[in-house]
Amino acid sequence: MKTFDHVIQDPLGLHARPAGLLAKAAAAYQCAIQVKAPKGEADCKRLMAIMRMAAKAGDTLSFTCDGPDEDAAVAGLQEFLKTNL
Amino acid sequence: MGFFDKLLGVKPSGLRVAAPLTGEAVALSEVSDPTFGQEILGKGAAIRPTQGKVFAPFDGVVDLMFDTGHAVNLISDDGVELLIHVGLDTVKLKGEHYTAHVHSGDKVTRGQLLMEFDPAAIAAAGYDVITPIVVCNTADFASVEAQLGPVTQGDGLLTLTK
Repeated sequence: MKTFDHVIQDPLGLHARPAGLLAKAAAAYQCAIQVKAPKGEADCKRLMAIMRMAAKAGDTLSFTCDGPDEDAAVAGLQEFLKTNL
Repeated sequence: MGFFDKLLGVKPSGLRVAAPLTGEAVALSEVSDPTFGQEILGKGAAIRPTQGKVFAPFDGVVDLMFDTGHAVNLISDDGVELLIHVGLDTVKLKGEHYTAHVHSGDKVTRGQLLMEFDPAAIAAAGYDVITPIVVCNTADFASVEAQLGPVTQGDGLLTLTK
């Protein structure tokens, strides 16, 4: 199991577009990916659950990747977050 | 399944999502925002609205009313997770020109008014008011078919099969 944090830089927060891109990015990995925000947590592969956290700019997202390709998932998601959120 | 279907004993061939808005239903691929147009958020349809009202397309629950009022997430009683996103990039309007009539967690019934918006003001502010209606859990279904053309809210829009 691997964990890492990301602070949301997008001034508009985790709205529909970045949430959709994040769910798609997470779906590329086999391992279970859970994301926790100040107001809730979600299966990172389920778009609606991600949106429900209503995470804002400045909020910290904590990711947990657990499974055979967890190292690749951490690297891939960190890269994705750096460019998109 | 409608009253007459029940009367005639027709079995439902799939899950139905009614049109939440009145206007012209078009393919998602006609939406210029690639997040919707390339079905990154899921399959569905889009409606070019002719009226500024959004109605519940099924019986279910409001999973999230966006605090900016420009979008709403609904979950139907039979498990369809639907995003109705009024306009493109309209998160940037920060709630202006939108009035929410329901809250996150509310139970809703088909045909209930969910939100109102001002299409003319949104267009005047420089935004495309086309409204993607997307099944967020598309992966849970074998197919999502859309009925395109002029629609009145409450008409059939999407048919999903498990």
